Amino acid sequence: MQADEMWLKEGTWIFAGVCLVIALVLLRLLFRERISLQGSMSYLTFLLVLGSMAMFPQTTTRIAQWLGFTLLSNFFFCTAIALLAILHLRALVMLSKVHLRSIALTQELAILNEKIDRLEAASAPPESRAA
Amino acid sequence: MLIIIPAYNEQEALGGLLGEIRSLSHEGTKLEAVVVDDGSVDRTTEIARAGGARVLRLCGNLGIGGAVQAGLRLACREGFDYAVQIDGDGQHPPAELSRLLEAAGRDDHPDLVVGTRYHDEKTFRSTVLRRLGSWWLRVILRVVGVRVTDPTSGFRLYGARALKLFDETYPYDFPEPESLAVARAAGLRIAEVPVKMRERQGGSSSIFGFSAFYYMFKVTLAIILTYGRARLRGSR
Repeated sequence: MQADEMWLKEGTWIFAGVCLVIALVLLRLLFRERISLQGSMSYLTFLLVLGSMAMFPQTTTRIAQWLGFTLLSNFFFCTAIALLAILHLRALVMLSKVHLRSIALTQELAILNEKIDRLEAASAPPESRAA
Repeated sequence: MLIIIPAYNEQEALGGLLGEIRSLSHEGTKLEAVVVDDGSVDRTTEIARAGGARVLRLCGNLGIGGAVQAGLRLACREGFDYAVQIDGDGQHPPAELSRLLEAAGRDDHPDLVVGTRYHDEKTFRSTVLRRLGSWWLRVILRVVGVRVTDPTSGFRLYGARALKLFDETYPYDFPEPESLAVARAAGLRIAEVPVKMRERQGGSSSIFGFSAFYYMFKVTLAIILTYGRARLRGSR
């Protein structure tokens, strides 16, 4: 079967289309500086892998058969789920780091604020301290 | 000695508690109180300031672990010999502080002294669920080498080594039992003394209903992980 026939018959165009739409949304978010390029690299890689699988269905079919998948769509879904699980794990690690840092920063801020308050109170003239 | 009072919306009990602390006198020990306001929306900060305490005002609600660690960090940075944790709800009578201090001065020099409520049945009655939870935590902690009767007690005295350890690492969700496992894993000496505790003077417990089961599951897992980490470091 030719690649363009497989595009239609196996429906790989759906995956390619979905990847393209998500990539466009991602690029828009990057352009608007809502997300960082560093943080989105793994997501872009995920889209590239899935998009390439959809763009080259014959190669993908050979790999799927070699791995024991009878349906190409099953292979697509399995790959997408595995990659999403990795992405989620990576996000979890980053989120945990950010959470710990935000706790430490909140504590440091409170300690510094208290120090400033005490210094201000100590350096205030006696009349205002009495007031 | 720094008295750390973590408080979240504790305006009802805090004034009385600070009054009791002010009336304490310990020869040779300078007492200083710090209220860690964990993002309260009531008048906790104002009442703490009016009561003569220092105030660490956290800009968000970090939970009890984050609040206590902020106080411990302050004590560690400012070179306090000891820090005592007292709940802001008035459950822990400041007059019982002397018992913790006495234990800290013993020959074996414990780094962490925990006040237990279960040695005094007459003055403190807890719920069946709480006792069951305490029993389970005692069993789990015993596995990792911690022998205490009241693992959820927040009435504690921290020595210099404990302050240094908890400045670096302190559990955030339901930290009391987990911090015991952390302390044990770091080789700190833990002691326990009987203290009198009261019913809370204001506020409400954060552990009820489903969260009680989540608490037990999470703490059990955390203690096992702490123990595993310590074993792994030991074998290396």
